[in-house]
Amino acid sequence: MKASYFGQMGYSDRSTFPTTWPTPPGYTDSKTSVQSYQDGMEECEFAEEMGFDWISFSEHHYSGRIPTGTPSVMAAAVAERCKKVTIAMLGHLLPLNNPVRIAEEVALLDNITNGRVVAGFLRGTPNEDQVYSVNPAEGRGRLLEGMDLIIKALTEPQPFAWEGRYYQFRTVAVWPRPVQQPLPPVVVGTRSDDTIRYAAEHRLGLGVSFLPVEQTAVITDKYHAWCEEAGWTPGPDNIVYRGSIYVAETDELAREWFEGLQKTKPGPNIPLRRTVSEAIQSARAGTDFDLRGLVAGSPEGDVVGNSLGINFLGGPDTVAKQIKEFHDRCGVGVIDLPFQQNTVDHRGVMKELEVFGKNVIPQIREL
Amino acid sequence: MAFKEEQIEADGFSVRYWEAGHGRPVVMLDQTGYRSSLLHDALAEQYRVISLELPGTGDSPANAASKSVGDLASTFAKLAAVITTERYTLIGTSFGAHVGLWQAIQSPDQVEALILVSSPAIHPQEVLAAASASEVHQLMFAHPENAEKHKPLSAEIFAKESDLMRRLNSGDHDSEVEDRLGDIHCPTLAVFGQEDRLVSSEAPRIYREKIPNCNIALVYDAGHCIIGDRPEALRNTVLDYAEHWETFIVGHQTGVINP
Repeated sequence: MKASYFGQMGYSDRSTFPTTWPTPPGYTDSKTSVQSYQDGMEECEFAEEMGFDWISFSEHHYSGRIPTGTPSVMAAAVAERCKKVTIAMLGHLLPLNNPVRIAEEVALLDNITNGRVVAGFLRGTPNEDQVYSVNPAEGRGRLLEGMDLIIKALTEPQPFAWEGRYYQFRTVAVWPRPVQQPLPPVVVGTRSDDTIRYAAEHRLGLGVSFLPVEQTAVITDKYHAWCEEAGWTPGPDNIVYRGSIYVAETDELAREWFEGLQKTKPGPNIPLRRTVSEAIQSARAGTDFDLRGLVAGSPEGDVVGNSLGINFLGGPDTVAKQIKEFHDRCGVGVIDLPFQQNTVDHRGVMKELEVFGKNVIPQIREL
Repeated sequence: MAFKEEQIEADGFSVRYWEAGHGRPVVMLDQTGYRSSLLHDALAEQYRVISLELPGTGDSPANAASKSVGDLASTFAKLAAVITTERYTLIGTSFGAHVGLWQAIQSPDQVEALILVSSPAIHPQEVLAAASASEVHQLMFAHPENAEKHKPLSAEIFAKESDLMRRLNSGDHDSEVEDRLGDIHCPTLAVFGQEDRLVSSEAPRIYREKIPNCNIALVYDAGHCIIGDRPEALRNTVLDYAEHWETFIVGHQTGVINP
């Protein structure tokens, strides 16, 4: 089993910001911001030194939590510091982007890393639908078409025109070609049946995030079944699970930290006004949205979002056991871990990386 | 747009064609059953559109005379010369594209621009050998619900066309036409559905590589019968190319939202 460090590059003072999304850019201070990225890159280097196999990057917008709106830029910078690890883009939010541009970024990264790139495609969380003014109702269609177009753009040796539903390009001819032929490994991050099936039918990897093991298994069971239908068996690198983590030297220390976190009464993750959240969800689902009714039934300032849970919590043996469950039950071969919890500073992350590298990686390596 | 049915004779054949519109001529070799579409209507608003029924296809009598696809293209050249003396844009679909390729090679003086839609001449898939009319019909579409909107060929027409294509080796890779693609010097567009199950996905690039002035267009979420799966996409692509040839790559749509 492989370990992946999620390069969140969080702004160091993010825990002091009010819980809103988007976070007003005026909260940032350039000195703190510059140092935060330096800290984040140092964490990546240390993760490589500690034996992590992958370093991953994600496209997220408009907050200090994961301030990598252009993840390829971040990946390029880290790839120059970390010369051995796989650089995993987990991933690009396809509905928001020009798919040809994503193909060009993946191909370029694959060249500057000499074939160390994993590409990742996903739709994104509801808040991301507000970025670049994409209609939430079109997200699924844009994702599916975008994946087809990117794969074609990365593999087709002759220039072509693309006549899509959402994208029309009369000349596509991506340079450079990827180093990994015919295509760098691709992970599709999803929980939806149509996209799981797409990944299976196209022999692509699957990425699942933050769900408990049994819910993850529902998804990976479908994936395995549909891969079998498509005539292939996914390998260990094909199933990636991203789960939040806090690892300490002992279970007791980890529990103490978690209790401390609970006392801070953390707000919801990626909070949105209830009206906005419901409007996005309705648009995604194609259902009616009653703004006036919702306003009348909601308290003023009502915000919603997922609560911050921790998927892997404990000392090294406990965390290794928790990770092993995902391997055994779901066939997960790569575990992608965001260590930058809201109340954990740079020193804390470095300490966790050391504990994880020395005591957990040896336990999961042979799985 | 009302198309008027006409009949002509040449090269020992009596064939029907349908015509509408005015302007530069566009000659179409359509798949049987797809002679009326958004594309035909849109073209007829700008061009003199002639859709010709090749001998041995559709409701025409069986064709035992043509010896090869090139031979059938020679017949087509004679028929087209009766209808128009002007150079024309030739739009061939499926088997019609195969004939169109030979026409552009053998009669370059007639063909001003060539548009190939789902051409099976290069690397066809080997799915047709034992398939029935309804099986082939299903295979032509990316989505079963689109197949349901169209009728399969009758058993009689399917048998007649299958016999002709088998006899002319049209279901096989045409290595002779591949060798001669470099002889096509008119602007050429090769359009394929991304989900075409009757032609290999390797085929489009061969046209691009070997025809000197060739663009390829891939229609997302469309099968072999693009007009059935994505009619608007086919109409817009073909209209743009018929008007602009290779300059259809130049964007003209405005990006202004609020002037």
